[in-house]
Amino acid sequence: MPAYTLTYPLLAALSAVLLPFAAFLLTAVLGKKAKHGTISIVAISLSLLAAGYAFTQVWGNTPIHIQWHWFTIGRHAFHVGLLLDNMAVLMLVLVCLIALPVHCYSIAYMRGDPGIHRYWAYLSLFCFAMLGLVVADNLLLMYICWELVGFASYLLIGFWYTRDAAVQANKKAFIVNRIGDIGFLLGIAILHSSFGTLDIQALFGPQGLLTAPMGADTPAIAAEGTITSGWLTVAGLAFFLGTMAKSAQFPLHVWLPDAMEGPTSVSSLIHAATMVAAGVFLLARVFPIFDDTTLLVITTTGTVTAFAAAYFALAQYDIKKILAFSTISQLGFMMVGIGIGMYHVALFHLVTHAFFKCLLFLSAGAIIHGMQHAKEKHQLDIDPQDIRHMGGLRRHMPLTFTTMLIASLALAGFPFTAGYLSKDALLVHAFEWAALHGEAAIAIPLVLVIVSILTSFYIFRLLAKVFFARPSVLANNDIHIHEASRWMLAPMAFLAFCSLFPIFTFHPLNDGQVWLLHGLVAEAPTLPPLRPLHILVPALATAATLVMATLAWRWYVNGHYPIRTKGVLYRLSERQGYLNELYDAIIVRPLLKLSLLLLWIDHHVVDGAINGMATAGRSLAGIAAWIDYHLVDGLIRLVGNLAWGAGHVLRRSQTGRVQQYVALVFFIVLVILLYHIFAQA
Amino acid sequence: MITLTHFLVVGACLFSTGLYAVLSRRNALLVLVGIELMINAAIVNLVAFGRYDKSLYGGQVFALFAIVLAAAAVAVALAIILNVYKFYKSVNPEDISNLKD
Repeated sequence: MPAYTLTYPLLAALSAVLLPFAAFLLTAVLGKKAKHGTISIVAISLSLLAAGYAFTQVWGNTPIHIQWHWFTIGRHAFHVGLLLDNMAVLMLVLVCLIALPVHCYSIAYMRGDPGIHRYWAYLSLFCFAMLGLVVADNLLLMYICWELVGFASYLLIGFWYTRDAAVQANKKAFIVNRIGDIGFLLGIAILHSSFGTLDIQALFGPQGLLTAPMGADTPAIAAEGTITSGWLTVAGLAFFLGTMAKSAQFPLHVWLPDAMEGPTSVSSLIHAATMVAAGVFLLARVFPIFDDTTLLVITTTGTVTAFAAAYFALAQYDIKKILAFSTISQLGFMMVGIGIGMYHVALFHLVTHAFFKCLLFLSAGAIIHGMQHAKEKHQLDIDPQDIRHMGGLRRHMPLTFTTMLIASLALAGFPFTAGYLSKDALLVHAFEWAALHGEAAIAIPLVLVIVSILTSFYIFRLLAKVFFARPSVLANNDIHIHEASRWMLAPMAFLAFCSLFPIFTFHPLNDGQVWLLHGLVAEAPTLPPLRPLHILVPALATAATLVMATLAWRWYVNGHYPIRTKGVLYRLSERQGYLNELYDAIIVRPLLKLSLLLLWIDHHVVDGAINGMATAGRSLAGIAAWIDYHLVDGLIRLVGNLAWGAGHVLRRSQTGRVQQYVALVFFIVLVILLYHIFAQA
Repeated sequence: MITLTHFLVVGACLFSTGLYAVLSRRNALLVLVGIELMINAAIVNLVAFGRYDKSLYGGQVFALFAIVLAAAAVAVALAIILNVYKFYKSVNPEDISNLKD
């Protein structure tokens, strides 16, 4: 039962959520005076402390739930509140823990930007929305925060709004996310109409209305309402559609590579670590709703996403786009984790991925920062994000190289890193799941293994080209790329530490010892373990990683490059599968044509009708005016003219001479007399 | 034998003379004289027809009444002429044409 009194952990969580909002308001009010970002940084630091306190109080204990009455529509009362369970406090701490280094990093990275006061305001707004999302106790509040993070992301992608590419990118992100938001809203609507409540604990809790055990295809029987299995599938798919857009799943992933137009610090926080993972968090929250069909769809989509994105990452030249596709690919892994029912492992991968992917982006930001400075200093005509222009940066930026290497190893799933624990756990569980689901299901773990190999390849390609390869542009003159400043390196060092195994487990090679999984596993279903795989898969993955590293070294550092860049497969990867072109051809352009048609109809038919009516009215009024002028007025004027004419004639008789008057009178009398005489006669 | 017709002829002559004077004289006083002549023509007629009212002498009485009335009219008309003269320095009716439009 929800509590109604604010205990200290609740208060801490509430303040963790509201502090960034206060910072947002304050920064927004101060406007250009808030350039240094102290307010935002103080707020997020306090949030981290509060979140940490809440975490220590709640983790491993019974969930705390508080509710207040929000509003009532008809008979349905809506509540607002906080739900602090293991998942929520974990995310709460994670978001703060990622956001704080990014804030610090931003001080140096965004220094001197003319719009930096907006930057701090947007960043605080995002933190508020994201923290609100993870502690929301009902789907409606979650949806509001879901939209708010999307909005903050939109603002930050278009932060440099004078660049056309940024404007196009944030428009694209917004529109693609709308498609997903419709799904989320539909899911909420279906649940509400079936059960009359949106409370997460009431719906999905241990004694919730929707406790569908793993693998059961029976309709859930609820006390207050029922839902048929068909609607259950539809609701599950609707929620998944919501996460497909937000977590950039194929084929709705197209917005994420373009979102790299935003500042790199934003990409690291929003588009790598937190917001895009919100979809995974949502799926974990509403997990009991998914039946077998939906889970299969999720697994398949995740696999396809992981593969497609890893493939597209192979031939990208923009350092941030490679990382963006890498993010999409890893989100696909998490989706598979959800789909095979091991959502605690998916969340674990979310956490480790948040650290190392954020670190990858921050390191890339440091490189771009250095390249940008070199470009401005020496008037070079290069794109600072293009890896073809880099090379040999290892000597210029040794610390950035170290952090990036750690993050890359974590991404590749190398032993002693956090990525090794989570990614190989996902792989192993995928095999275990496939063993239960028949022959065809083995395709999914096999594809994931291939994706894992591709991942190693593209990240080592990136490392080789940026840090080891022969310098291309930089070799010609004595250009020195400076190492990033202390404000940037400190957050990177912190995240590099978090990307290693010690904060998750004492046993670097065994994911079974991870405390984080033990915290979540009590609620999560488990698969029958296949012991040999736990050794075989990580060993093979590590071996593959080493092979790929060697291959990348041979191809890109030693110059034995064997691939024709004109090949179909190469171009398919470089042009991101021509998906953008496909969408442009089948959706955007027909839509534009339809809009133009509608515009034409609007102009010629609708406006034409109105203009026609106006013209008809004008003509009618013209006729009426003519009638008025010539007939009505004419009649009046005729009377006037007649009177005037008569007067004009008769005035001649008014001579003013008395004698003439008398003569006239006499004459008239005479006529009358004569008339009478003759009339009588 | 003097018959009614003689009287009426005399009256008509008098009236015509008066009318002529009224219409043609260039002097307001003579116009006034013309008016008096016309009144007197009427009085002659009254007296002449008064023969046929032997009991009450209505014609004679009415003649007397008309004479008095004429005298009063003359008084008023003379006053008007006097004022007109004061104003216009003329008694020619043709000069007094303020009523012309």
